[in-house]
Amino acid sequence: MSMGRFLLRRLLQGVFVIWGVVTVVFLLRFVTPGDPITFIAPLDAPPEVRQNIARELGLNKPLYVQYGEYLFNLVQGDMGYSYINSTPARQRIFNRLPATLELAVAASIVAVVISIPLGVISATRRHEPADYAATTFSLVGISTPNFWLGIMLVLVLAVGLGLFPTSRRAIGFLPAIEMLLTDLDPGGLVTWLWHITLPAITLGTYFTALITRLTRSGMLDELGKTYVRASRAKGLPETLVRYKHVLRNTLIPVITVLGLQLGTLIGGAVITEAVFNWPGLGTLVINAINDRDWVLIQGSLVVIGAGFVIVNIAVDAMYAYINPQVRSE
Amino acid sequence: MSGDETSHARDASPAISDADEDARNLLRVRDLSTRFFTEEGQVNAVESVDFDVRDGEVFGIVGESGSGKSVTALSIGDLVESPGRVTSGEVWYRNADLAEEIDDPEAVDGDFVDVRQVPENVRRSLRGPSFSMIFQDPMSSLNPSLTVGEQIAEAVEVQRRARANPRSTRSRTQGYGLADMLASTVLPSRSYVSEESRERAIELLEQVGIPDPADRADEYPHQFSGGMLQRAMIAQALAGEPDLLIADEPTTALDVTIQAQILDLLRDLQDETGMSIVMITHNLGVIARMCDRVGVMYAGEIVERGQLADVFDDPVHPYTQGLLGSIPDLDEPASRLQPIEGNVPDLYDHEMGDRCYFADRCPYAMEECLSHPPEFDTETGKPVDPKTDPGEHGARCVLANHEFRPEDALPEEYFAVESEDSSGSDREAAETEEVNTDD
Repeated sequence: MSMGRFLLRRLLQGVFVIWGVVTVVFLLRFVTPGDPITFIAPLDAPPEVRQNIARELGLNKPLYVQYGEYLFNLVQGDMGYSYINSTPARQRIFNRLPATLELAVAASIVAVVISIPLGVISATRRHEPADYAATTFSLVGISTPNFWLGIMLVLVLAVGLGLFPTSRRAIGFLPAIEMLLTDLDPGGLVTWLWHITLPAITLGTYFTALITRLTRSGMLDELGKTYVRASRAKGLPETLVRYKHVLRNTLIPVITVLGLQLGTLIGGAVITEAVFNWPGLGTLVINAINDRDWVLIQGSLVVIGAGFVIVNIAVDAMYAYINPQVRSE
Repeated sequence: MSGDETSHARDASPAISDADEDARNLLRVRDLSTRFFTEEGQVNAVESVDFDVRDGEVFGIVGESGSGKSVTALSIGDLVESPGRVTSGEVWYRNADLAEEIDDPEAVDGDFVDVRQVPENVRRSLRGPSFSMIFQDPMSSLNPSLTVGEQIAEAVEVQRRARANPRSTRSRTQGYGLADMLASTVLPSRSYVSEESRERAIELLEQVGIPDPADRADEYPHQFSGGMLQRAMIAQALAGEPDLLIADEPTTALDVTIQAQILDLLRDLQDETGMSIVMITHNLGVIARMCDRVGVMYAGEIVERGQLADVFDDPVHPYTQGLLGSIPDLDEPASRLQPIEGNVPDLYDHEMGDRCYFADRCPYAMEECLSHPPEFDTETGKPVDPKTDPGEHGARCVLANHEFRPEDALPEEYFAVESEDSSGSDREAAETEEVNTDD
């Protein structure tokens, strides 16, 4: 099957998955305790006021009508208005989205850049000091709680040594790039990097450790296969055997995990965001849940779900590119 | 069996006539030992093996599972992996060009180079031109994520680069920098193989009898059948135009009709290229069909070797006799097969005494079999120095020296004790087999 048809099929599947997410998220409101009107109306509000609020928000209509209207508005890009302060939900979500994406991608880059070389070294120098160091690192990385690591990094590198800022996202990535291109001023990018380093390390450490282990064990598996022996027997240099053959095959499962992880990160990293006061989606969702601000909750979950689906389609495409057996299935 | 006819037919062919006088040796293996260092202990997978391979001949190594034949193949191919290691011995390949370049007098003997004594990069440059190897399972012997043509072409490419720039042959990366390597992990790798190499790969596929080679070259291993894949494997091994092809159970994973085709193919290719073949198999039919000379392996040792006809018609070692006795005779369908009782010992160092390892299963075991290891003697009774004359028919057995006398036989009780714990060592033997093949 051609790559184009493969992708088209995945995209169609993705649309249905997102529709499913929207439906489940919509229905969630009706099975969760906590009427939004209680939160909006004053405590001593008479029933008429409450009914007025319900009518205003459209909460008095039958379920299927609400669902139909929600879907109708959603496909036009209208996610409704926050129950709490009447701001458009879309605006609030998409204000937060860049911060989340930046952090997710930065954490993934940290993870990939460190973990794959580490895994390769670990596997090719099995039972040597480098291997023991790498496996110890990954064990520690997997078992270190995020919030503790974040606080320690702030304490030592930011407060103690003053190398990094303690928190905040001073500038977005896109404005920083714009600054670089229009004013030829790299200052914005430097500031951005400076602020994102600690959160990215905090968020990325667990995945670094995970992928190091995955790369190591995958590579050891591959190295034990007969084709490696055959490649050596036909005279290939060891570097070619290792990188062209073995690493490429090792990356097949690694890419899957990376994609799932990136998808998870788009959902926001609540703890890391809290530690570094990072204005991402995670904190938005948590606050919205506390306020029973269903419009905002629904909108955020739909965006997160869509992000997850898109990342997975991208992963599928990469997977098919690197693994020919998938393409022909 | 029909093998005799085949072997006599082979005797008439010019390549092997007067083998003892004129034929030049291509490979000399002396005192080769390979050990596996496992958590359960040291496994002596190959123990002091000597043999020669001559120009244009097929040398067969036959034995049961766990007898060390595959590890022998890997050892002469310098492909033993951890936890295994070739611990002693010499593996001399004839390679005049290389012999000239090497300064170390220890590692060179005339035109011969000792793989064990040259540096790693020189060792690698022997792979391809001096020897190549094919394996049992074609499905796992090719990389599933690269096209078949690509894998053959890259083998051609490596040799082409080596010839174009002999200096870099000895360098670590052979013209591939680390950046190229990393890029080749993620980019379509075809760009690292020249068009000439691709064309040569298609020629090779045609040579091994794959129809529509140009189209099939762009297919992946999972799109090939087992037999076709084994042909592609052979094409890949031929890419370096090797003097010696080491074939480790090349037909075991294939069904019978395909087996015959592959053996015919190997034979034809040998006639075309004049290469020698070391044929590793447990299948005596394959040996009879293919080989000029044969070595019988048991418990890591070659216990008997010689011209095919000598060994098959007049076996000296009781193990060889047992192996031949376990083949069904089509002329006498009513006769019962005579299997060899018991199993190959598990080869752990601490359990390997100074004795004949076959004694526990041997119907002719005598007291002296347990006291010292039998010398490698010819059937004439004269001890033969394997370093000077490994070509003659000989067996590592006291029976080579004198007849079996029933009064020398070991008492019944000896075997009774052995058979009691043999059930326990069965499992260990199976595990050892795993160690031998998988590591």
